[in-house]
Order: sequence, then structure tokens, then C-alpha cells
Amino acid sequence: MRLFGADILPLAAEHIVLALVPVLLGLVISLPLGWWAWRSRGARRILLPLTGVLYTIPSLALFVVMPIVLGTRILDPVNVVVALTVYAVALLVRSVVDGLDEVPSEVLTAGVAMGYRPLGLLVGVQLPLAVPVLIAGVRVAAVSSFSLVAVGAIIGQGALGALFTQGFERFYTAQIVFGLVSILVLALVVDALLMLLGRLLAPWAAARAPKKQGV
Amino acid sequence: MIEFSDVRKAYPDGTVALQSLSLTAREGEITVLVGPSGCGKTTTLRMVNRMVDPSSGTIRLDGVDVSTQDPPTLRRGIGYVIQNAGLFPHRTVLDNVATVPVLLGRSRAEARSAAGELLERVGLDPRVGSRYPAQLSGGQQQRVGVARALAGDAPVLLMDEPFSAVDPVVRADLQDELLRLQSELGRTILFVTHDIDEAIRLGDMVAVLRVGGTLAQFAPPADLLAAPVDDFVAGFVGRDRGYRRLQFVGAGSLALSSFPTTGDGWLLVVDDDGRPTGWRQGDDHVALGTVHEEGESLRSALDAALSSPSGRGVAVDEDGKVIGGIEPEAVITLLHASAEPAR
Repeated sequence: MRLFGADILPLAAEHIVLALVPVLLGLVISLPLGWWAWRSRGARRILLPLTGVLYTIPSLALFVVMPIVLGTRILDPVNVVVALTVYAVALLVRSVVDGLDEVPSEVLTAGVAMGYRPLGLLVGVQLPLAVPVLIAGVRVAAVSSFSLVAVGAIIGQGALGALFTQGFERFYTAQIVFGLVSILVLALVVDALLMLLGRLLAPWAAARAPKKQGV
Repeated sequence: MIEFSDVRKAYPDGTVALQSLSLTAREGEITVLVGPSGCGKTTTLRMVNRMVDPSSGTIRLDGVDVSTQDPPTLRRGIGYVIQNAGLFPHRTVLDNVATVPVLLGRSRAEARSAAGELLERVGLDPRVGSRYPAQLSGGQQQRVGVARALAGDAPVLLMDEPFSAVDPVVRADLQDELLRLQSELGRTILFVTHDIDEAIRLGDMVAVLRVGGTLAQFAPPADLLAAPVDDFVAGFVGRDRGYRRLQFVGAGSLALSSFPTTGDGWLLVVDDDGRPTGWRQGDDHVALGTVHEEGESLRSALDAALSSPSGRGVAVDEDGKVIGGIEPEAVITLLHASAEPAR
């Protein structure tokens, strides 16, 4: 499908990959970091402010310095992926900590008393219980990632964001609006899918409010 | 059997949770640790499954020093019930109960079917097995907690204030249920509570601990009520210990009176089967008081007498048929006669 002189579907696919791969990488990095910050007061004191600061770095600046830091070519998509991973980590470390904090202490006590080893407890009890909070964090990270990819257009790797840069060059409002709407729609669809994934992973979270009955 | 010898627990900041405890929880009995908060009872309990390690002294489980054992392995062999049940919210009731068997390497299917039977055993409809804990009432959750602790077939159960968070009526049900289960299973149970009534109700032996972690008295409940060793235990056992002691005295040799048909005007009304239905005075029909059933304690006998509108309690046999009246004086006489508190 060609629109505004560009092949839209490959651009959209590229946008999805550039937006979601960093979220996935960010999650993989955030899980151990978040677990560490949850366990150790000292790590929490350093990691949480640090990730907060990371998120305040302007995306424009981060995209521009990436090739210098990484030694990559200016037009390498790796620049965008790494920069967006930094933002995903900045958002998700806190989600992991919050998610683990959410596990009631008596549940942890019971898990230890049942004979779980630390890794078994993390995988079998703590992470499943952190899912609702984690998914909420991942949804925010994913949506923000979709809009940030567009900024990559200024270093030539913006996928659908290229519709903005070209539209501005040509003073072509329709193209800009189309770019905006298509990114918005993609982000909303992914957000809805993630919400669904959360429901599937944590069916227990919807099961509340006992029916009144005897003991 | 759980043996504590000279067990002491002090924390690096200098707080002493447990001074020096020596105590044996006998095989097949319920041993209750009771005391005010800060007396080290929960610490004591947690040292058995090594959730806390003592600073000095040894704890032996069936003769084996627990400090020589790998903690997770040790814990899988000891049932544990805590306040608020501590069920895993993300697992169904059935999978909660199957936790320890699965950790022990049994197949999930096998563990689940055993879990279903356990739910029945603790008085739950097996259909609750597919629900999540949040869909259960507090009392039901606590029953699931007990089922989960029993699932590993552990000979030893540790119970840390398991019934403290439920309302009194449900608590009494759960206590009865535990006593019934224990009469079937005969596990060695170490039970922690701050509630002396619960301790007296459930314990074969009761250890009263003082703040700071010293053992004040270790005795069967009837002895605790009849002969507290000092003011602390007497105060902790409570003001009405004389009255509560009644429940440990059998009413077997209680002298029953007959019901006079003339005299004070009170007539007991019975149905065709001889079961009491109420009292009659003149033309007035008055409801019964509590009824004492043969085999119950002096406490129920005295209550029957005190709650009866005629001042005379009604005693019935197992079938509910009237066997005689209870004068309050007869109860007091029997209590005084039982110099040795019986169980």
C-alpha cells in the first residue's frame, strides 16, 4: 500500500519492531535490576533515582549521542533500539520493584515455610503476583516507546515518524496528520493487546469479592 | 517430638527474644505456646523449621538436630499454618493445597486429587477447589491453610496464631474442627496464640511465656487454671479461671434431682419421646435454658442450672431424653469434691 510516496505497511511493521524490541529488552534488563532494588535497601536508594534521571534525558539528545557512545553508524537502527531500551529500563525497574512490593508479606512467609528455595519463590510466587503491576508498567513503556520511535526520524530511523519529517519539508498537513493517527492507532492496539495478555497471565486478579456464604 | 534445650535467641542490636528455653512438645499432642506480644512465642515456633536460627542451644525434631538440615528440605517435612492463611492468591484452592506435594516431586495430577480429599477432610465442599482464595470467606481460607499444611503428610505441624483473624463464632468452629482432625490424625502440633482461652481449649500442654522470653509455666491447662505458679500466670490466665476450670471437670458423678410435679409451680414440658420442649408456670409457657447433655463438663451443667427459668437445669441423655434436673448446689459440691483436677 503506497501513500504519500511511501510504502506504509513495511513502515508500520518497522515501527512496531523498533518500538517493541526495546520494551522486551528493557523488561529482561529490569527484572534482575528491579529484584535487586527490591531486596537491598542500598540498591533501591541508588537504582530508583538513577532510573528516574535516565527518563529525563531528552530523546533528541539521546538519539544524537548514541552513535558516539556505541560507535555505530549514524543511520543504524541499533541507535534507536538502544536509546529506547534505556527509557524502557527507566520505566520498568520501578514497576518491577512496585510489583514485588505488592506481594503480601504473609504470602512470602508462607512460601518460605512451605519449603520454596529463593529462585523457586521468585518464579513460582513473586513474579506471577507482580504481573498486574508489571503489565501496567509495560503498557506505559510500550505506548511511550511508540511515540518515541517517531523522534528517531531526525536520525533517519523513525519508521512512521518519517511521515512527519517529509510532511514538514513539503508543508503537507495531510501527511503529518496521517502519520500521527497511524502511530496513535498502533499504540492503542498494542496497549489493548497487552491488557488482554495481563488478563490471561493473571486470571486470579479479576477473581474478587467472595459470595456470601457459611464457613 | 520437638525438644528445645537451652535455646536462646538474641539479635545483634542486643534485643533478647528468647532467654533460655527448654521444653518438649510430645508426640501426637497439641502443645500451645501462649504469652503477651514480645514473649518470643513466634520466634520459638520459627526456630523449629529454621526460619529463625537460635543464637545458642539445640532444637531436635524426633531426635535429629534441625541445625544439621537443609532449611528448604526440612520445611517441606513440617506443616505450617499462619494468621490470615497466607494462601497464594494466584493459585486455585486445589493448587494451594497441592503446593508441598508438588515441591516434593509428586505429579500435579496426583497432588490435586489428594488435595480434593483433604478439602473434604477439613470440612470444605470440594467444589471450592477450582476457586481462587479471594473468592473464599476468611474462615474458608483458614481451612484451606490447614489443608495445605496437612498435604505433605508431615508428622509435625506448626501453627502461628492461625485463628486470630477470624470472628469469634468462626474461630470456635475452626477450633472444634482442629480438635476433631487431631483426634483422627494425631500429629505433633506446636501452636502459638496470645489468647489464653484458645490455649486452654486446644492444648494438651500449655507453655506460658513472659515478655523477654522466659518460660513461666508449662503444664496441662487444668493445672494452669487450678494452680498457677505465680502472679504473672494467674493474671494472664484471667480473673474467671475458677469458673473456666469447670470445663475440665467431668460431670459424670453429678447428683441429678427429680422434677417435682408440685411445689414452686414450675413444670417441665416434654414431648412424646421424652425430650424437653419448655417450661410451664401456671398458664405461661417459658423457653428452656441451655440443656446439659450426659458426658459434658461441669461447665455445661452449671450453665444449664443458671440459665434455666426455674433455677433447675435440665440434663438429657445422648438421644435428648430428660434424665434429671441439676441443682446449682450439686455442681458446687461436686467441684469441691474433685480436689484433683481431672481431664
